[in-house]
Amino acid sequence: MEFSIATTVAEALDALQNGARPVAGGTDLVVGVRHGKSSFPDQLVAIDRLNELKSIDASDAGVRVGSLVTHAQLMTDPLITDRYSAIADASALVGSPATRNVGTLGGNVMNGSPAMDTGAPLMVLGAQAELASSAGSVLVDLADLWTGPGQTSAASDQLCVALKMPVRPERSGSAYVRLEYRRAMEIAVVGAAASVALNADGTIADASVALAAVAPTIIAVDGLSTLAAGRTVDEQLLADVASAASEHASPISDLRASDTYRRHTVGVMAKRAFDAAARRATGEVIGIPVNRAIGIGAAS
Amino acid sequence: MTDIAPVPNPALPNPALPNPSAPGATRRFVRADGPDKVTGSGRYAADLQLSGMLHAKFRYADVAHGRITTLDTSAARAMPGVLSVLTHADVPDVRYSPGISDRTLFAKDVVRFEGEVVAAVAATTKEIAQAAVDAIVVEIEPLPVVNDAEEAMAADSPLVHTDWESYEADEAVVRSGNTVSFSSITHGDVEAGLSAADHVITSHHVADASHAAPIEPRAIVAQWEGQKVTVWTSSQVPFDARAGICQTLQLPTNRVRVIVPHLGGGFGGKCGFHFEAQIAALAKAAKRPVKLVFSRREEFLAPDRRREGMTVEITSGVKNDGSITARKARIVIDSGAYASDAAFFPQLAAMHVGGPYKVPNVEIEAHLMYTNHQPSGSVRAPTAPQACWALEAHTDQLADTLGIDPVQFRLQNCVTEGDTGIAGQVYGAIGLKECIEKAVAASDYGAELPDDEAVGVAVSWWPSFPGPSGAHVKIDDDGAGQIITGAQECGTGAVMTLRQLAADEVGLQPEDFEIIYQDTGVAPYDTGATGSQTLINNGRAVVRAARQIADELRKLAADHLEAAPGDIVLADGSAHVAGTPTKNVSIPELAGIAAGGELLAAHGSAPPLDYPTVAATCVGEQGVAGWVAPQFACHAVRVKVDAETGVARVMEISTAHDSGTILNLTGALGQVHGGVLMGIGQALTEVTRYSDEGLQMNAGMLEYKLQTAADAPPITTQFVEPGGEGAGPEGAKGLAEAPNVPTAAAIHNAITKVIGTPVNKLPMTAERIWEVQQ
Repeated sequence: MEFSIATTVAEALDALQNGARPVAGGTDLVVGVRHGKSSFPDQLVAIDRLNELKSIDASDAGVRVGSLVTHAQLMTDPLITDRYSAIADASALVGSPATRNVGTLGGNVMNGSPAMDTGAPLMVLGAQAELASSAGSVLVDLADLWTGPGQTSAASDQLCVALKMPVRPERSGSAYVRLEYRRAMEIAVVGAAASVALNADGTIADASVALAAVAPTIIAVDGLSTLAAGRTVDEQLLADVASAASEHASPISDLRASDTYRRHTVGVMAKRAFDAAARRATGEVIGIPVNRAIGIGAAS
Repeated sequence: MTDIAPVPNPALPNPALPNPSAPGATRRFVRADGPDKVTGSGRYAADLQLSGMLHAKFRYADVAHGRITTLDTSAARAMPGVLSVLTHADVPDVRYSPGISDRTLFAKDVVRFEGEVVAAVAATTKEIAQAAVDAIVVEIEPLPVVNDAEEAMAADSPLVHTDWESYEADEAVVRSGNTVSFSSITHGDVEAGLSAADHVITSHHVADASHAAPIEPRAIVAQWEGQKVTVWTSSQVPFDARAGICQTLQLPTNRVRVIVPHLGGGFGGKCGFHFEAQIAALAKAAKRPVKLVFSRREEFLAPDRRREGMTVEITSGVKNDGSITARKARIVIDSGAYASDAAFFPQLAAMHVGGPYKVPNVEIEAHLMYTNHQPSGSVRAPTAPQACWALEAHTDQLADTLGIDPVQFRLQNCVTEGDTGIAGQVYGAIGLKECIEKAVAASDYGAELPDDEAVGVAVSWWPSFPGPSGAHVKIDDDGAGQIITGAQECGTGAVMTLRQLAADEVGLQPEDFEIIYQDTGVAPYDTGATGSQTLINNGRAVVRAARQIADELRKLAADHLEAAPGDIVLADGSAHVAGTPTKNVSIPELAGIAAGGELLAAHGSAPPLDYPTVAATCVGEQGVAGWVAPQFACHAVRVKVDAETGVARVMEISTAHDSGTILNLTGALGQVHGGVLMGIGQALTEVTRYSDEGLQMNAGMLEYKLQTAADAPPITTQFVEPGGEGAGPEGAKGLAEAPNVPTAAAIHNAITKVIGTPVNKLPMTAERIWEVQQ
């Protein structure tokens, strides 16, 4: 295996063009190889020293999160916790402190796992992936990026350099919750993220829900905005959100759960995420992550 | 004595007042091996490096059942860097295992579980060893897989061992076909008892298999010097390991030395004889030291020490006055492909399904069955957590049927001093009733709780196991002491407490003693870190040896101080004349005198303890129906259940234990905390899943869900010290296994209270808790 260390993005892109695969925190790649799920590629380029990919930059257009921003940063960054809370919720649940300190947002997104924690939050927050190559940069919608379990539409010479999200509307909130069997070192059994924006009168202006670990990729629940717009958050609406999520899911049975149980619980997660997002939209402070703050998924 | 919960509940009365009259109340000390282990300076078997050392890899069956039709090692033997390749043909044709000799070091013709070793390779690097293992041609013709212990009982079930009758076995083991070992306990007249009952209640329970999952995957290094071999191994039982090597490689005891460096946990998983002989044989063939280090996956698949799956059907008769008239039960236990050490499991499981209750009429039968799973063997309190979980779920059902509070029902029916137990043993001073009262009082039992929370209560018991054990104690010329013991430390701290016992006898401090241990080459025999037996057996041996030293010190002091030996008091590092503390001489000075003459060196051995008689009729008698110094416990667990998802979380645990006198409170609390955490895992998340082909589907830490530190609830612990006859020094009983027994049962009873329906499958996973509500 050939291993190189990129000192600039341009160097990294050159290496990719020559057939190398990128590695940042290594929490998926290295662990996967150790478990025999894959083997190391012939060429590996380390991108973990590219400081220009480690910042969170706000502008009038929204926020640009460098792909090397770690989960530990995301769960504590004031802009993220305040305005893009669902990402902070998700980042705070990833693995262990060690994983969160080296694992990156770009790595989580490009690994393409349908059980990734940050994927559903990014989707409800309208994120696009910025993919760079020697030929230039393109923005790709996440729904177009993830094509299957562990698969993306990115070409092998493209490097995810950032995730871009638009400015959050007034009176909006977001949240991510997941079903978990223990409180650390866990992988989502199912997960759901919601984003809710309220009108001045408290009715819903816009809403979206995305689901983790119930389909080959992270998926958005279609028609959610239509279902919720103009209504107030009450038991009936939450039940409708749960039904919509369950109906939209196409889960499999595996060691962690049966398809029946996943279909049911993803609905529960969706309504709880929706509820937390709507409460955050009213200005209520719910701690990060929601799972720990109010006992969603596991009892508090 | 008690532990203050990490997050004390201000609403509760403080149960934490220490009992100043208890001998151990003020004894809290840090174990001697603690600093090495927490700073990383401690060395484990996998850390060893020897000159010219080779690396071993095993070739496994990889299928659950089949006949080997081709086994060709020629390509592996021809690979550069490969120095030895072994199969059954290369070692003595010996069958071994305690109880029933049904195993060989390498598969002989037939493979019976996926982790069975077919061949072994030693090579200059791990990579070459792996490549050589992969180059061995193994063809296996499939045989029908026995994938379930109940199915193994069917008349038309394929036999796991077609030639079972030819195996040598202890006469006491009742076996036939797929039945490895059968036991029954019959006392009184169960049918008459059931007829006399106002209510007869039957319940059915299924517990899945789980694992010990020690944090250190095992490692073994073997090195020959001439005709002698030294084996460094991560074993809980070095003398057993030595015996296994001697038996299978046909060597006399004095040519084999087994040394255990620091052990990274065992929980029973490293009891027994495991792979030491294969590595010694590889080293002999290669004429080089050889090292084996298991991967996590191998640690899950290959050892014959899985926690057994079990099905239990219990029928009890109760009267409206709350008394139990009779208990009938049938237990089926999955032994896996070999007997391992499990021949006594049926009788032990029967005792736990009978329980620590006054039941005059009992008929319990238990069947240990061969299947094509990984063999089961002693994992911390074998059979007890599952059997207790079944019985205590059943007990709550009995109380519920009668409309009696379950705690009151237990107080009414539990055994106390003078009572006769299920096998007809009459108990002396025991503390079960006090355990129930104390554990419940310190819990939220009876308090108003949110709808999604409840407190469940369960009681349990566990024997103390007498056994042979020896130790040397000496004091060198500067007054520094040494204990040279055959005992093995597997993390419980029991060996560490030996220092206190020796120090108390000779008037020194525990810190004045060094412990030389875990080396069969220097110490007398001990059973090892198994059966919670270290303190009660090796403790008595150390006390015996130390008393001889104390006598010598008194004689020396008497000469020096011109007093009678009987008037000499040994305390605080010196010897003084009773009543005249100023007339004294330091122990180092006496040690210096002794160094010029008769040395301060003694040997002690634990004298045998008598087993109590039992009145019951025991078929398949395995010596575990009458218990020496039985231990008792009660756990009261507050659980919160997210009914919509079935996720249960343990919020708080109140425990009370009668494990006799507590000698070191710090160590004792550690045992309870660890046992409880393991119990929570077995209750909620830990399960080994099998495919239709009989293969483990989650042999790794990602999908085998141990509890984490983040899941640990506050734990309050109280020790009940009833006095009476204890087996060990100062009335100490064992404590390593007992705290692991009732936790899952108490959690079950709390969950049932919240959701209204019992979950009769263990572990009680979120999905199962959700499922029973649908």
